[in-house]
Amino acid sequence: MIGSARKRLLIALAFLLPNLLGFLVFTAGPVLFSLAMSFTDWALTKHNSFSSTPVRFVGIENYARLLWGDESGFFWNYFGNTVYLMIGIPIGIAGSLGLALLLNAKSSPAGRGSKAWGVGVALAVTAISCFGVWMLTTPGPAPTELTAVKSGEIGLTDLTVFQVDRARSNAAVLAMAVLGAVVAGGMAFGSAFFRTLFYLPSLLAGVAMFLLWKTLYRPRGGLINAGLEPLLNWITHATKQTPEWVWKAGAAGVFGLVAMLAGLTVVNGVRNLGSGVAGAAALFGRVAWAATLLAAGWGVAIVLWRVHGWAADGLKPPDWLIDPTYAKPALIVMGVWCGVGGGNMLLYLAGLSNVPPELYEAASIDGASGWQRFKHVTWPQLAPTTFFIVIMSTIGGLQGGFEQAMVMTGGAAETRVLAFYLYERAFKGTFELGLASAIAWVMFAMIFAMTIVNFRLGSQMTND
Amino acid sequence: MPEQPAQPRTTIVGEGRAGLPISRVAVFAGLTLFGVTAAVPFVWQILMSLATLTDVDLLTQTGFPPTLLPSNYGLVFERVPFAKYFFNSFFVAGWVTILQVITCAMAAYAFSRVQWPGREKVFLLYLGTLMIPGVVLMVPNFAVVLGLGMFNSYWGLIIPGAFSAFGTFMLRQFMLTIPTSLDEAAAIDGAGHWRIFTEVVLPLARPGVIVLAIFCFLGNYNSFFWPLILVKDVNLRTLPLGLLVFDSSYGRETPLIMAASLMAMVPPVVIFLLLNRYLVKGIQLGAVKG
Repeated sequence: MIGSARKRLLIALAFLLPNLLGFLVFTAGPVLFSLAMSFTDWALTKHNSFSSTPVRFVGIENYARLLWGDESGFFWNYFGNTVYLMIGIPIGIAGSLGLALLLNAKSSPAGRGSKAWGVGVALAVTAISCFGVWMLTTPGPAPTELTAVKSGEIGLTDLTVFQVDRARSNAAVLAMAVLGAVVAGGMAFGSAFFRTLFYLPSLLAGVAMFLLWKTLYRPRGGLINAGLEPLLNWITHATKQTPEWVWKAGAAGVFGLVAMLAGLTVVNGVRNLGSGVAGAAALFGRVAWAATLLAAGWGVAIVLWRVHGWAADGLKPPDWLIDPTYAKPALIVMGVWCGVGGGNMLLYLAGLSNVPPELYEAASIDGASGWQRFKHVTWPQLAPTTFFIVIMSTIGGLQGGFEQAMVMTGGAAETRVLAFYLYERAFKGTFELGLASAIAWVMFAMIFAMTIVNFRLGSQMTND
Repeated sequence: MPEQPAQPRTTIVGEGRAGLPISRVAVFAGLTLFGVTAAVPFVWQILMSLATLTDVDLLTQTGFPPTLLPSNYGLVFERVPFAKYFFNSFFVAGWVTILQVITCAMAAYAFSRVQWPGREKVFLLYLGTLMIPGVVLMVPNFAVVLGLGMFNSYWGLIIPGAFSAFGTFMLRQFMLTIPTSLDEAAAIDGAGHWRIFTEVVLPLARPGVIVLAIFCFLGNYNSFFWPLILVKDVNLRTLPLGLLVFDSSYGRETPLIMAASLMAMVPPVVIFLLLNRYLVKGIQLGAVKG
C-alpha cells in the first residue's frame, strides 16, 4: 500500500467523504434522532416557527399510548391487518418455488436448433392475429339493418348486434393471439421466455399496477368477477342437481380422512421418537404438519357442508375491495400475483442450479420417486434459499401494504396497515412526529424479534 | 422433477426430436397457463385504454372495444401535465442513480482498496444500519429535509437518495473480488489512487455498478411514499404521485387511467428487456452477499 498511515487516512476520507456525509445526515444520524424523537411530544402543529412551545420529553408515554393507551385500539387493529395480509407470504413463496421447479424442468419441447423455427412461428401467429383483428375491425359492407339489442337480454343498449358480434369475434381472435404468442415464445426461447414473462408483474408492481387491479376487482364490469360469475353459476347449478346429504356425507368423509391422516402422522412420530432436541424438533414438525392438514381439511369440510345452503340463494362473486370482508383477501390475491414470479423465483432458480447433479443421480439409482427426490434432495438443498426468502419477506411484509391501502381502497379502515398508521400520524392531521417515531420503533422491534425467531427455526431446519 | 439443474440459456440438445414425453408436455402446459395468467391483465389493460367511456363498462360482455380510440393516450396529456410527471420521474430517478453510484463506488473503493485506521469500525457502522427498516428513517429524514429547507423541492427528492449503505456494501463486496495485483501494477507505473479508481477498479466493477444503477433507477422510478410526503407542488409530482391524483380526480374515466398507467409501465419494461441478464444476476448477487 502506498503512503503513510496518515496519508492513507486522508486519501480514504477524500473517497469516503461524500458518502459518509450523506450516511451521517440521512441514515446514522436519523436513526438516533428518531429514537430520541420517540420519547418526545413533538408535533408539527404544536411546535413550529409560529409557536414557541418547547418540545417536551415525555418518557415512554408514546409507547404506552400505542401499546395500551388511547392509541392502542388503532395500533392493534392495524397490526392485525398487517399480519392478516402476511398470509400471502407463504402462499407466494410456495408459488415461487413451484414456478422455479417448472422453469427448471426440461420444458421446451423444441430442441436447440429450433430457435429460428420458434421465432418464425411466433411471427406467423402474431401476423395472422394482427391480420385477423384488422379484418374484423375494418368495417366491411354495412349490414342492411342495424338492430338494437334488447336491453333486458345482455344490457348492451348502446351497441348494435353487428357491433357486438364484431367485438366478440375480435375478442376471440385476440385470445387466440395471446395464447399463440405465449406458446410460440415458449417454444422459441424456452424457459428464459417464461422467466421474463413471470417477472414482469413484480417489475411493474407499483401505483400503475394497483390502478389496473382496482379496475379488475370492480364488482360489475371488472374482469375478475366476469370470470367468476359463470363459474359460480355452474357450481350453483351442479350443487342443486345433487341432494344435500351427498354434500354433507362428502364433508364428513373428507374431514374423517384428514383426521385419520393427521392422527397417523402424530402416532408415527411418537412411535419413532428420536432422542434429545433433534427428536423433539422432528415431533414438533410432525405435529405442525398434522395441524396444518387438519385446518385445511376443516376448511374444505365446512365449505362442502354448507355449499348446498349457499347454492339455494345462488352463489355470487364478492364485491372485493368495497366489501370489508373481502378487501384483504383481494389485496392478498393481487400481492401473490405480483410477487410470485419476482425476485424469490429467481432466487429459487439460482438455488436449483446450485444443487449438485450427483445427488439426483444417486437418488435415481436408489429408485427414488419424483416426490421423494424433491423431499430428500431438492427441498433440503434449497433450505438456505428458503431461509433467506422467509426472513426478507417477513421484514418486507411487516413494513409493507401502504401503497396498496392508499391506491386500492383510498385508505379504507380494513386495509390499513402499520405503515399506513405511521403515515397518518406523522404526515396528516396533527403531524405527531414523536408518536410516529414510536410506531416506527415498535415496528423495528417486531421485525427484529421475528428475524430472531426465523433465525432460530432456520438454523434448526438447515441442521436437520 | 428436475433430473439435472438447467444451465442458463441452454435448451436440451438432441433429445428434442425424439418425441414428446407426457411429463414435458405437462410442464410446458403449466408454464403456458401461468404465462397467460401473467399476461392477461396487461392485455385487458390495453383493451380498456383503447375503449370509449361507455364501451369500457361493457368490455366484460363484448370482450373487445367496438370502437378503438387511440386518442385516449393523447387526451391524458391534455387532462394533466403528464409529460411533466414523466420528466420529474426520470429527472429524480436519474439524478439519484448517478449520484448514488458515484458516492457508493468511491466509498466502496475506500473500504476495499485503501488501508486506513478505523476502516473496519466505520464499515461495521455501515453494516449495522442495513438492518434498520426503511420506516424508521421516514420521519427523521422528513424532519432533516424540512430543517435543510429542501421540503417541496427537487433537492429534497434527490439528495436523501444520493447515498446508500446497501450500495456501498454491495460494491465493496464486488470490488473485493477484483485482484489487487492489477492496481499494484498501476501504482508501480506511477498511477495515483484517483487514476487507479477510475481506470482500473471502476471498469472492472462495471457489472456490479450496472446492477446497482438498475435497481436504484427502478426503485426510485416506482418510489411513492417519499414523494407523497415531500411534494406539495403540482409541478414536482412524479409519475406514481401523478397517477394517484389523476385517479382520484378522473377516476371515472377508466380508459384514460389505463392509458396513463400503461404509459408509466413502459420504461421499466424497456430497461428490463435491455438489461435482463444483469438484473437476474443482480438479484442473485444481492441474495448471496446481502
